[in-house]
Formats: sequence, structure tokens, C-alpha cells
Amino acid sequence: MSRAHSPQPAGAARAQAPGASPEAGPEALLRDRRIVVTVGSGGVGKTTLAAAIALSAAREGRRALVITIDPAKRLADALGLGALSGEPRALPADRLAEMGVPAGGGLEAMMLDMKRTFDDLVRRFSPDPAAQERIFANPIYQHVSDALAGSAEYSAMEKVFELSQREDLDLIVLDTPPSKHALDFLEAPERLVGLLDSRVVQVLLHPAFAGARFGFRVFQRGVQQVLRVIERVSGLGFLEDLSEFLLAFEAMSEGFRERARQVEALLFGPQTAFVLAAGPARESVAHATRFLTRLEETGADVAGLVLNRMRTWPSSEPLPEGEPDPAARADLAEALANDANRTGDAPAAGDFDAEAAADAALTLAYGYASMVRRDERETAPLRDRAQRAGCFVRRVAELPRDVHDLEGLDRVAAYVFAGDPERVSDEERAR
Amino acid sequence: MSNPRLSGPSSPRSQPPLRDLLDRHLVIVTGKGGTGKTSVAAALGLRAAARGLRVCVVETGLDEHVPRLVAPDSTPGTPLRPGLESLRIDPYEALAEYLTLQLGVPGLATRVLRNEGFRKLLDAAPGWRELVTLGKVWHLREQGEFDLLLVDAPATGHGLTFLDVPRVVGSAVRAGPLRRHAGWVEEMVRDPQNTVLLPVALAEELPARETAELVTRLREDVGVPVDRVVANAVASPPFPESVADLDVRLGRIDLPASDTRPSSRTLAGCAAHLRSRYELNRAYLEHLREWTALPTIELPLLPEGVTGPADLDLLGRRLLGEAT
Ligand SMILES: Nc1ncnc2c1ncn2[C@@H]1O[C@H](COP(=O)(O)OP(=O)(O)OP(=O)(O)O)[C@@H](O)[C@H]1O
Ligand SMILES: Nc1ncnc2c1ncn2[C@@H]1O[C@H](COP(=O)(O)OP(=O)(O)OP(=O)(O)O)[C@@H](O)[C@H]1O
Ligand SMILES: [Mg+2]
Ligand SMILES: [Mg+2]
Repeated sequence: MSRAHSPQPAGAARAQAPGASPEAGPEALLRDRRIVVTVGSGGVGKTTLAAAIALSAAREGRRALVITIDPAKRLADALGLGALSGEPRALPADRLAEMGVPAGGGLEAMMLDMKRTFDDLVRRFSPDPAAQERIFANPIYQHVSDALAGSAEYSAMEKVFELSQREDLDLIVLDTPPSKHALDFLEAPERLVGLLDSRVVQVLLHPAFAGARFGFRVFQRGVQQVLRVIERVSGLGFLEDLSEFLLAFEAMSEGFRERARQVEALLFGPQTAFVLAAGPARESVAHATRFLTRLEETGADVAGLVLNRMRTWPSSEPLPEGEPDPAARADLAEALANDANRTGDAPAAGDFDAEAAADAALTLAYGYASMVRRDERETAPLRDRAQRAGCFVRRVAELPRDVHDLEGLDRVAAYVFAGDPERVSDEERAR
Repeated sequence: MSNPRLSGPSSPRSQPPLRDLLDRHLVIVTGKGGTGKTSVAAALGLRAAARGLRVCVVETGLDEHVPRLVAPDSTPGTPLRPGLESLRIDPYEALAEYLTLQLGVPGLATRVLRNEGFRKLLDAAPGWRELVTLGKVWHLREQGEFDLLLVDAPATGHGLTFLDVPRVVGSAVRAGPLRRHAGWVEEMVRDPQNTVLLPVALAEELPARETAELVTRLREDVGVPVDRVVANAVASPPFPESVADLDVRLGRIDLPASDTRPSSRTLAGCAAHLRSRYELNRAYLEHLREWTALPTIELPLLPEGVTGPADLDLLGRRLLGEAT
């Protein structure tokens, strides 16, 4: 798929630019971009990452806003979004200070209400109250407007555009719903607008007019067939309802179309960067690889890849391999036995089986080491692929608990922007 | 739920034995993205075929996964195992089939579907994909070639729920065959004797909450039978109970790394991490039971992910309470 109307695929241009630095790090996102969009498949950490990016930007003294979709309840609380809110909320100064945001920096958050959005659009773009009423009263509208492909996405984009006009914001971080079809979220508005241009719809809208204008027999027949088929299958009333719905909808389409174009220019322009999130599960890696390709084809500028929830070795020591050594077990058992005697916290010194404990400790560590290795191995092709495309690549460790609060976001941000101090470097690992 | 026997209180102890999961004609596996729906559907398929049932795993996603998972070396077009087949429903193809059946004129449906305007209308229109997909499932049931259909449903989340669609379409379309057919599909989906919905969750906050909401809504609003929930990828205890607090003990000693052993600090780090993940899972398993008021089937976290038929076989046995 290619995007006929995007004159220059930003991603491709960047990859080919002779002087382009091979990897602009994630810090550059905070500095140079106006909009950052987190994308990826279900549950990989898009929302978490979006929040961590916005928080980091605020800490750099920028005025950032994060638009989240479906944050976990406690994360929403941490961001001051306790109550559902379709409008941005600024975190109060004392809260910001607690979060380490310097004077001049700011953090706002809002949650996109994907359900309410279509009504808003109708209100905004309807030419007059009567048209608005017609739409609201239409049975098709009543039943399917929530789900009409593109409506929620369109509204999201609309919101982003509106916010991008705000002079007092430096960075907008946009979280997206899980997407299988790569760019659903970004392409849906276009589909919605494209719908109104199609001939069947034109005919449904203006039957008489269409007959006169499109004199071609063949075409006529095609459209009539389509209409007949719809009618046969869905009964008489449906076509009427549909026609009425589309008619009402068309009345709003001019404003709509224009806005869709502006939003697109914004998202595929140089001020916007995409960050792809992926997990180490095989399916997730495969999905992210395909996603990356699709994003590039559309001309989206994919700045980085974040591999989230990587099982990570907790120190810079080399990963153990093979089987635990009996001698190694002996001195560990001894140390554990001494500890038990010293602290006396075993019910009776004799009850604590130091051998078994040493065994368990080594078994779990060796097992964990092989998981760490597995995650590295399984994600290697994707990392290479992303690096070749000029993306930065960062790993975020799987943390002990869900990321629900500031502390968790801090840790995620540290992995993305500072690199974790305790992370084992590739060289060390290779040893 | 029509069967009071199955909607008992949440305490796992007082649960009467559950009806055999495979003792129906249609199992619809659903859940949030990436929770393990495809793995669960494939695993059930393997075990059902092993019991001698004629089974079809029906995929509804963009890509086909089941053949590769279940039988990496199978040739396309042949059963994956004796009695086990899989099928991916493409909504556009299913629609063409449906229209051909409805119109009775071969070729007309194809022509209509090739009409650019109609394509655009379809691209933007909601609901029809779900409806024709379920319609195709209905048709497969009618044909009776299989004893059991295992549907790997699309990820739940935003927008209309897969199973809500027949009802919604039924009310948006006032008359005609479409409305009637939506009614048939709805009946199939709500049939407590022959159909069951199997939600797959992870024992973490978001998936647990979302699953609870899904179960409540489907049970109460849509009337789809659901009698158990799968909690997938649950971490097992990282160390035996006899050495409880191993992570704390390891944290207290100070043994440097040797050539053959990580330091006690590193060992403590691994133990603490795994313990924490384990406890997180336990906590959300509890929540899941409480929030859904349904029995939960735990599937173990496979350290390497689902790598092949052997893993599926294990998951399948756990799902069905068979010996492993
Ligand atoms: N590095 C991590 N370690 C541990 N848990 C994590 C990590 N990152 C995210 N999580 C947890 O994983 C879950 C999913 O994260 P998140 O909601 O950010 O994903 P998402 O991609 O936005 O999901 P969805 O596709 O459902 O919108 C959350 O409960 C979050 O707390
Ligand atoms: N019990 C398990 N332990 C470890 N990994 C698992 C387990 N079950 C599934 N996985 C892995 O998780 C990933 C997602 O699983 P699967 O594809 O079955 O989920 P899904 O719900 O069908 O996802 P999607 O919503 O993308 O269709 C796969 O890589 C799979 O190998
Ligand atoms: Mg999210
Ligand atoms: Mg799947």
C-alpha cells in the first residue's frame, strides 16, 4: 500500500539522507518534535510508553501533553486523570515539583473518550440544527455511529490537530489503540472521507442527478446492481435509512475533508515522530516487523523501536550457562546456612535445608538466564531491522510489577532515555 | 446464564464440577490482544482431535497462524492431524459466498463486490465483517461436517464486540433476509446448550479488568453463555515453599560471583523479580475470580513461549483438566 498523496515519504528520505546521523537518540524526540505517536499491537506498552515520554519531556523543561487511551486505573490516577476526562488537565505545580519537573516545564494529560466522539463531530460540522437533528434521529446513526470505521479515530486526530494549534504546548504525545492492521488509526479518517466520494454513495445521495450525469450504461448497471443487491439482502427500509444517513453526513463533509487533509499533513510531516513498541513474544516481534514496513511505506517517520518487557539480567555479571556447578552450590549452601543460624529466623536451625535453598536459587537463576537469552535472541532480527531503518532501539526491562505509578514510569523512562545503568551491555553478554 | 449449576459463588471450593468444555458444538475463544487466544484455540483443537472429534479451528484474523502452530510441516489443503482442520474466514470472501447464496445468480455477487463504490462503502461500514464471519460459522455448523468448531475471535477492546454485532445489526436493519439471518446467528451465539464463550485473560490488571467487564456485558446484555475464564501465562512459584523468602535470605548474604556462579546479589535479584511476578499473578488471579464470579483455569507461563505442538498439547491438557 502506498500513500499517493504524500509527496515525500519522510521515513525513506531520512534513511537516505547522506548527512543524517545513523541514529538520533530518543532525547531528540523531546527536543525536536511537536508530536510523538506510540504505536504497536495489543498490550505491549503503548500507553505506558506515551506517559513515560511525556513525563520525560516535562522534566526537560518542556510543556508536554499526553493523550492516552485506556490507561490502567492507577496510572490514570497517577496522571491526575482519576475521573474520565475528554479535556486536558494540567497537573498542579506541587505535583509537578514532586515529579521532578523544573519551573517552565509542564505536564497535561487527557483521556480520549472513543465513544462520545462522533456526536461531537456531528455537532461541529453540521451546517444547521436541522441537519444535526436528522443525523441524530437516523436509526443507522443511532446503532452504528460508535463503530463507523474511522469515526473515533477521526475525532482523535481532530483533537490532536486542535491541540497542535496551541502555542503553549511544546510536545504532544499521542497513545493509540492496539492495532493489527498497522495504520488503522491513522488511515481510518481518510477512509471515512473517501467513502463520501464513492459513486455508489453519490448515487444513493443523489439518485436523479447521478442518472443524468453518469450516462454510461455499464456504470449505471453496476450501480443499480449494487443497490439492488443491498436492497434484496437488507430489506426496503435500510436503503432509505442509509441514503438519509449519508446525505446528512455529506452535509458535514466539506469541513471534514479539509480537516482530514490538515491532520494528515501534520502527522506525516517532519514535526511528527512515531515510536513503535513491541514485546519479546514471538507473535509480537513478527507483528512489529510487519508494522515497521507498513509504517515506512506510508511515509511515517518511525524514529524508534522500544522493546518493552524484556526479561533482563539484574546485574552486569555475565549470564551463567549450562548447569550449576556442584562446588558453586556448596559454598552458597554454606553461606545460606550461616545466615539462617545468625538470624535465627528459621523455626529451628535444623529445619532450614540450606542445600535445597542453594539448589533452588541456582536453578531459578539459570532458568531466568535462559529466558533473558531467549528474549535477546528472539528480538535480534527486529532490532537489526529497525537499526537499518535508522531507528533508535531501546530495551525496557520487565519490571517486578505493573507500571501504575510515578515510580514505575520513572523506571521505564530511565530505560528509554538514560539506558539502564544496570543493563548488561551486549559485549559483556557476548563474553 | 440458563444453567444455574454453573453460575455458583466465586469461592473455588464450593464450585460443582464444570461441564466438559468440549461438550458443545461451538467454543468461541476471545480476549484482549496478545493474551493467547490463538494458542488456546489451537491447543483445544489438538486435544479435541485426539479424543476423536472432527474439529475445525476457525481463525478470524488477518493472518493464518494455526497450521504453522499445530503442524509446522503439514501441506496446505490436508488435515493438520486426523480429524483436525483449520480455516481462516476472510470477510470479503465470506460476503461473496453469502451474496451468491442469497442472489442465486453466480457471478453477480462477484461483480457487485468488484464495484469500487461498493468496496468503499464496505471499507467504512461497521459490523458486516463480524456478521458475515459469524454467518459463515453458522453455515459451517449447518453443514455438520464438524463435531466442534473452535472460533479464534478477534481481540476485544475498542468498538463493537464481535458477538454484539448480530443484535445490533438486527436492530439497525428493519426487515429483509439480513435481519432474519442476523437473528439466526444471534440464536446460535446465545444457545446455552451448544455454545460457550471462553475468555482468555492474563493475570495482570488491565486484562483482568477488561475480561471482567467483557464477561459481565456479554452475560447480561448479549446473553452469551460463559462458564469459565482462562488465565494464561501464569508464573509458577519460583522456589519451593520449604525455602520461602529465599530472595530475602539471598539478599542478606554476601557472596561474590565466582567463575561458576553469579554473586548472591544477582541470585537475589533474579529470585526477587520472579517472586514479584508470581505474586502479581496470584493477586490478579484472585481478582479475576472475584470480578467475574467464574472458575478460572490457569495455564502456566511457558518460558520460551508457545514453540510447537508439544506446548499446545500441554496447554490443551491443562485446559481440559486432563493428566499431563
Ligand atoms: N516494562 C514493564 N514491566 C512490567 N509491566 C509493564 C511494563 N510495561 C507495561 N507494563 C504493564 O503492562 C500492561 C500493558 O501496558 P500498556 O497498557 O501500556 O499497554 P498498551 O500497549 O497500551 O495496551 P493496549 O493495547 O491494551 O492499549 C500494563 O498493566 C502495564 O502496567
Ligand atoms: N502460556 C504461555 N506462556 C508463554 N507464552 C505464551 C503463552 N501463551 C501464549 N504465549 C505467547 O504469547 C504470544 C501471543 O499468543 P497468541 O498469538 O496465542 O495470542 P492472541 O491472543 O491470539 O494474540 P492476538 O490478539 O495478537 O491474536 C505468542 O507469541 C505466544 O507464543
Ligand atoms: Mg493502551
Ligand atoms: Mg491470535
